[in-house]
Parts: sequence; structure tokens; C-alpha cells
Amino acid sequence: MAAENIERTRGKTEHHVDVSLWFALLFLLCFGLVMIYSASSYTAFADYGDQMYYLKRQAVAAGLGLIAMVFVSRIPYHFWERFSLFGVLASAVLICLVKTPLGVESHGARRWIKTGIPGFNLQPAEVAKIAVILFLAVMICKMGSRIKTWKGLIVMMVAPGVLFLMIWKITDNMSSALIVLAIAALMVFVASPDYKKFILVGFLGVAAAVGLVMLVKYTDVFDSFRATRIRVWLNPESDPDDKGFQTLQALYAIGSGGVRGKGLGQSMQKLSFLPESQNDMIFSIICEELGLLGAAAIMLMFTILIWRMMIIANNAPDLFGGLLVTGVISHIAVQAVLNVAVVTNTIPNTGISLPFISYGGSSVIFLLVEMGLVFSVAREIEYRGY
Amino acid sequence: MSEDKIKTTDPRLRSKLRFYHRKKITITFFILTGICIFLMGRLTHFMIFCSEHYAEAARELHERERSIKAARGRILDRNGAVLADNRTVCSVSVIYYQIENPEEVIRFLSQELSMPEEEIRKKVQKRSSMERIKSNVDKETGDRIRERNLAGVKVDEDYKRHYPYGDLASKVLGFTGSDNQGILGLEVKYDSYLQGSKGKILTMTDAKGIEVEREGERRMEPIAGKDLVTSLDVNVQSYASQLAKQALKTKEARGVCIIVMNAKNGELIGMVNEPEFDLNAPYELCEDDFIGMEGKSEQDVLNAKWRNACINDTYEPGSTFKIITAAAGLEEGVVSTDSSFYCPGYVVVDDRRIRCHKIAGHGSQDFTHAVMNSCNPAFVTLGLRIGAERYFHYFDAFGLRKKTGIDLPGEAGTIMHKLENVGNVELATISFGQSFQITPIQLLVTAAAIVNGGTRVTPHFGVKVVDSGTGEEKSFSYPVEEGIVSPETSETMRYVLEKVVSEGGGKNGAVTGFRIGGKTATSQTLPRGTGQYISSFLAFAPAEDPEVIAIAIINRPKGTYYGGQIAAPILRQLYENILSYLGIMSYTSQEE
Repeated sequence: MAAENIERTRGKTEHHVDVSLWFALLFLLCFGLVMIYSASSYTAFADYGDQMYYLKRQAVAAGLGLIAMVFVSRIPYHFWERFSLFGVLASAVLICLVKTPLGVESHGARRWIKTGIPGFNLQPAEVAKIAVILFLAVMICKMGSRIKTWKGLIVMMVAPGVLFLMIWKITDNMSSALIVLAIAALMVFVASPDYKKFILVGFLGVAAAVGLVMLVKYTDVFDSFRATRIRVWLNPESDPDDKGFQTLQALYAIGSGGVRGKGLGQSMQKLSFLPESQNDMIFSIICEELGLLGAAAIMLMFTILIWRMMIIANNAPDLFGGLLVTGVISHIAVQAVLNVAVVTNTIPNTGISLPFISYGGSSVIFLLVEMGLVFSVAREIEYRGY
Repeated sequence: MSEDKIKTTDPRLRSKLRFYHRKKITITFFILTGICIFLMGRLTHFMIFCSEHYAEAARELHERERSIKAARGRILDRNGAVLADNRTVCSVSVIYYQIENPEEVIRFLSQELSMPEEEIRKKVQKRSSMERIKSNVDKETGDRIRERNLAGVKVDEDYKRHYPYGDLASKVLGFTGSDNQGILGLEVKYDSYLQGSKGKILTMTDAKGIEVEREGERRMEPIAGKDLVTSLDVNVQSYASQLAKQALKTKEARGVCIIVMNAKNGELIGMVNEPEFDLNAPYELCEDDFIGMEGKSEQDVLNAKWRNACINDTYEPGSTFKIITAAAGLEEGVVSTDSSFYCPGYVVVDDRRIRCHKIAGHGSQDFTHAVMNSCNPAFVTLGLRIGAERYFHYFDAFGLRKKTGIDLPGEAGTIMHKLENVGNVELATISFGQSFQITPIQLLVTAAAIVNGGTRVTPHFGVKVVDSGTGEEKSFSYPVEEGIVSPETSETMRYVLEKVVSEGGGKNGAVTGFRIGGKTATSQTLPRGTGQYISSFLAFAPAEDPEVIAIAIINRPKGTYYGGQIAAPILRQLYENILSYLGIMSYTSQEE
């Protein structure tokens, strides 16, 4: 039925524009800027003497991202296939650069490198995400039906696995590492006709996670930093001033929003109570100010965005394009879902930003470049025609 | 750009999507949508079902609390005269982050509050959320400061305890501290009723404690304390106070105590402890306060000044205690009005010779005259007849060993010999009120029990507490012990003690037109040998059915020191003025 939809519009206009997709994207971008201003103006003024400090920087990044997106959307996506290996290698090198003097430390972690443009630092993990999408799309096409075998699956996961370990261990950024792995897993899932293997792996993964949590909860086998994090996750009120602080503050914000919220700009928690309120925790400020209805609207926008991209993926002129779009879907969806899960304390607290909305220059630019790929694929649907 | 410009080397990259690819993409979409729905469920859980819990926790985090004092309950006398009241005063504070013109604030406050500029500057420049400049500022000044409306200056209204009668009944009423807590007297004892509960002003602040203007304030109104209605009578108290002051001055005494009590129910109508102190300035000391307190700390001097001698201090009662010995003798049946005693001016007990105050001796006398004469040898004889063991039995039975239970803090206990240490000599001295110590209130309550028919009452001030808002009342009841002495003993004692006043040593206590019973005493201060005395007189009226009983004690008078001569006139003057006022009918003797 989705295919019919495209079928109908095809031929009517040569340059079909997916209005819903554009609307959802621009809505999220603009809404993100509004919320960054709302969430950060207070602390921005306190820290930098400029209420619009974060807003300005994010607006510049979003503008650059939009230009890059339009540019990329005009380039036929097959152009990029020759860079698939290069992308992976380049991101590996960039990750390593974090450890050199080029690396920049912020928020207690060394995850950025200098770009030479003042005020903008690059997070190599963002490069790695797009590199993995491109690399796997090419690899899967080349591998063909061999992907059905265990061996095929494992070969497919080698490069993402290495990047996963590098991002986790070198930049100490487990959440980004997990997203890279999740993108790869979803792309391979789509590419393979098989279900059993994925259900088995998924089941084992869930069982391992539950087992780990149980061990942490009922025994003292683990006593590391991450074990504490899991304990605090299970009961954030057990350590309200330290480890559970951010989670609890986020829950305070969400809970005090109620159904309709306090009104835009009326958040109390953003007044230095909730750390990273314009960043990873921005969703809880949205909940506080706009309530359950506002939160539902954002979730709906993401769903529309993903739905429109799914239709593009399904109607892509070839598997390569479809996989590229699938990769972008995975990236945006996984990141959004994990962010909301963290904010609602559904999973242990880990730093994941909300796509298009959280403050973060690298993140929004690379997300828009990925959207550029999607639009590029969408364009060729029309061009190819019959 | 067109597609043919892009050279694709590998045809595999042009392979088409298969059906299963589309199916899987769709499945992926639905899995993700499913997760979104699940997360919406989580959000609903927090934002609807736990909303109140988290909103409340958040509010607690955001709100800064400023307390509003509750108006403390008033203390009233039996007729509703206000003994302790509240005055509205102001406290002036500054809020660092709101001050716009610090210099102006400093100048203005310094001028209005007459405080040095440096002191205010220090507080104005302190980066705290709120700094108190001065409290207890009178209302007019507070209003002026508020009207000026300077940014960052806050004027809060506050209550300050005020005692309209100044030093009247100071040691009974007591006073309060800066935090509305009772420090002395009834203010302490009835603190829980008087205090009420504090209200709150809750202000929203950010994490650094800076007020968030747009959120406004939330007020939780304070609950005012309840009024305490006491049995004190301002008129009786004032009159007694005046007499005590006069005696203190003319006799250059260390102190004068007067207690006036309802003999039937224990309500205390007056309790004077001269020198009193000004309740509106309890911490002020004058030179006189340091007399006899050399080398003591200021706090010790204050404590001495605040002491209520009627209940906090014990003394040797002397001859007034003969009431107890006589009652014990009557109860034991070892004496009756027919008994006769012989006084040669002394009595020999074991190897001791105890003198009578009348060196020539009282000669032969009956029981009534022995009491009228306050004859020591007669009472020694009586005491020895009762015997130590039985004497102690009555001492306990009359309730002398336990505290009276008066509703004031710090009542002192009785200091008495142990029975096994009491020989004849000790028993002899106890019989006429020496060698042990009790409090004046103890003596008064015991004497009341003996003359009122045998009912030992609990002396008290607190009658009831009243909620001035709702009019709700709570009356207090106090334990009463009946049958301390038999009605016959009581009747005999009333008769004998009336004789003391009408014909005996208490003549100066007689009030024209009223039948008064009483007993005088002159006892030495402890330690002995300083030539200092305590003169006292205990009297009740009307003698046939005592309604009111009072005691006057003059501590270390100069000059004449006999109780019959200096203490008795005090109660006489008091009774002359208060008996009809209290509604006690005058008795017109048939002869007149």
C-alpha cells in the first residue's frame, strides 16, 4: 500500500517533494532550537552572560547542516560507495586523534577533536555512525546471499564491532558505541532473509542483560562504576545527591509537567537544578514545560519522520539506497528511543542526545547529512520512473 | 548531475530490493513504533500517576522557606485582664541579588535603624540569599522602610511579647525568648498551648537560591497559640505587690514573698516575690542585682534575679509549722483542747536545754494558749509525746514530703531528716519548725489542708486555655487528696488559730469585721548565727470556713524582725483590701 502511494504521486510531478518528511524534519529542528533556548537561556546567561549563547551556536550548526543536507541530496547516492572503506578507516583515525593533543576534553570526557573552526569541535563518534551506514550498505550488497550464513553475519559485524570497541574504549563513550552497534545490527537484520538467528541473538542479549542486572542487584560480584550505575538505575532515590541525582532531577521535571505542562519557558528544573538540561536531558524539560501532550507530539513527529523514511527505503531504486535509508532510520530511531528511555529511567543513565533537538553541533550536522542521503535516494525514485 | 556520470564498477550495488527486504524494513518500523508506544506508557506513568509525587518533591527542592511566627497565646487573669500580650514588631532583611542601589540601601537603613553604616554594609555585601539586618524594629519604623520600597529590602512582621503590667507577677508569668519559646514561669509550663504553630512563606528559587520572581509566593498561615486563663487576680496581685515593695523598702529586707491562695480549690490568686523584675526587659541588670553576688557570672546573677522564692527556695518555717505539729498531736489523740502544758521558760531534752522565746516562761497553759503563745517547750512536749515514728507518719500523711505539684517549673523538694537519724533533740526542734526546710508554697498548702477540713489541694495558676479564634476551651483539673486530717481536728485547729489572731501572737493580723485565723513565725536564716531572720505570717479567712489563705514572708528584715510585728500587718492590710473584693462576707460580732 505504501508502494501504491508513491506510484500514484509518480508522474504527476517530476520533482515530488515528500511534504510530511520535510515538515517533520523542519518541525523537529525548529522546535529543537526553541527548546534549546528555553532550556539553556538561564544557565547560558549565568555562565556566559548571554542568554542566546547555546541557541546561536546551535542555529549556526543547524544552518550549516541544512546547507550540507541540500548539497548531499543533489548528489546521486551511488557517488558515495567508493568512500565506504575510506569512511570507516577515517573515523578510526579520527577516534584515535582524540588521544592526541588535538583532542578536546569537555564534561569530564575526552570525546572531541579540534576542527580549526573556532567554537566547533568534532565528535568522531558521529563520523563513525555515518561511516558504518555507508560501509555496511556497500558490504551487504557485495556479499549478496552469503549473508544468510552465520559466517556472513559475523564478517558483516567485524568492522562495526571494531569501531564499537574503539568508541567505547578510546573515547569512553559507551552510548555512542552501542548506537553504532545497533545501526549495524538493524541493517544486517533488514538485509538478511533469516529471522531465527536474530531472534536467538536478541534472546541471548536480553537474557545476558537481565542476568547481569540480577547479579548486580542481588550479589556483590560486581563493584565497578557501571555496577553502581545499574544499582542507582534500579533505585535512583537510594543516592539522590550523587549518582542518582541527574535521573531524579529528570523525573522531577517530567513528573511536575503533568498532562499539560507548566507552559513554554516555565520550567523550574532548568534553573541549574537539572544538569545538561539543554543537552541529553532536554526531553525532560520538554515534558515539564509542555506536559504529556507536548511529549506525545514530539514522539509523533519522530514516528512520522521514521514512517516517511521507511516508505522511501521500501521504494528505493535499489538495495544499496534502501539500506542507506535503513541505516539512517536506525540511527535516528535508536538514538531517540534510547534518549527517552534514559530520561524516563527505563534504562540506566548514559549520555545519549535526542536527535535534532539536543544541543550539539556535530550531532545535528551529521544527522542532516544523513537526511541528505535519504533525500538523495528519494529523488532517484522519481527520476528512475519506468 | 545525472546518473550516467557516476560510474559504478560493481553491478551488485545495483541489485534490487527483494520482497523480504521491504517486509523487514516494515517490521523494523513497527518494532520501533512499538518501543515508542511503550515509552509513551512510561511517560504517562510518570506524568499522570506519579505526577503529584514528583511535583511535590520538585517543589520542596525549589522552595525556600521563610517562617511566619504564630501569635503567641495571651495570658489572662481570672477576670480577663491581659497579663501577657503580643506587639507587632518588624524585622528588616536584605536580599543580595535583588538590591539595585547598595549605597542608598546602606544609607537609608543606617539612618532609619540608627545602626553604623559599616555594620549594614557588611550584611548588604554578603552574598547570601537573605540577610537579617535587625529584628524587633518597632512597627512605625518598619512601615516607613516598607513605604520607601527599596529593591532588595524586605520588612517582615513579627510578634514580640509584651507585658502590660511590667514587673507584676514577673516570676510567675515568666518571659519568652526570641524564638517564641517560654523561658521562665507560666510561659514555660504552658508553652505547648501558648506557642501555636508557625506558618510559612514559600518562595521559589533556582539551584543557587536566587528567587524566581514569576513564581510568586505561597503562604501557609500560622496557627495562633491559645490564651491561658489564670487564677491570678490583677487587683489582688497589685495590692500584694505594693505591700511587699513597701515592706522590702522600709525593712531593707532581702526579699518579700506573699502568696494568696483559694483555700478550697488551690487556685493561686496572687504570688509576689519582691524584688520583681521588668518582664519587658528581663536581661537588664542594675547594681542592686549584684549585691551578695560578687564573683558570679552575669548568667548566675540573672538566674538569681529570676528565682521564684515561693517555690524554688526552701527555708526553715519556724513557728508557722506548729500548725502541723498541733494537727498531728490532735490526730494522734495525744492532745486536746483540755490538755495543759507548763512552761518554765525552757525545756530539757536529753542533755539539751531548749529555751522558750519568753525567757520568764509561759507558766501553766492549756493547748489553745500554748498555740497562742507559740510556746516552744509546750510543742517540744507535744512532739515528744507523738514520737518520731508517728510524727514522720503524719509528716508523710499531710503530704509534706512530696512536691505540691504547682504548675510552675522548678519546684523545690522538702529537705528532711531520715527517720533513723532522728533522736529526741531533732524531734524537739522539728516540732517547732526548725532543723528541716520546706518551700513556702508547701507550708501554705499543708496549712490549708489542715484548716479546710482535710483536703489537700494542688496549688495552681492555670484554669483553662481558650482558643481565641474558635472560642474552644479546655479546662484543667488538678488532683485533690481528701481526709488528710479529720474534720474534728480541722475544726479545733481553726478555733485555736483564730484565737492566735484575736488574742494571741497574731493580733496584728486581725482585720476588723472579719474572723481571721493565723500563725506567726520568726525563724533564723541558715546558716545560723548571722543574726538574720525570716519573719512570716500565715493567715486564712473567714476563720470558721476558710475561703482564702495567705502567707507573707520577709527575708532578712533590718530592725524589728518578729513575724507578729512586721509580717502580720502586711496580711492585715492585704485582707482589709481584698476580702470584700473577693466576695468574702464580713462577720459582724454579736457583741458589736
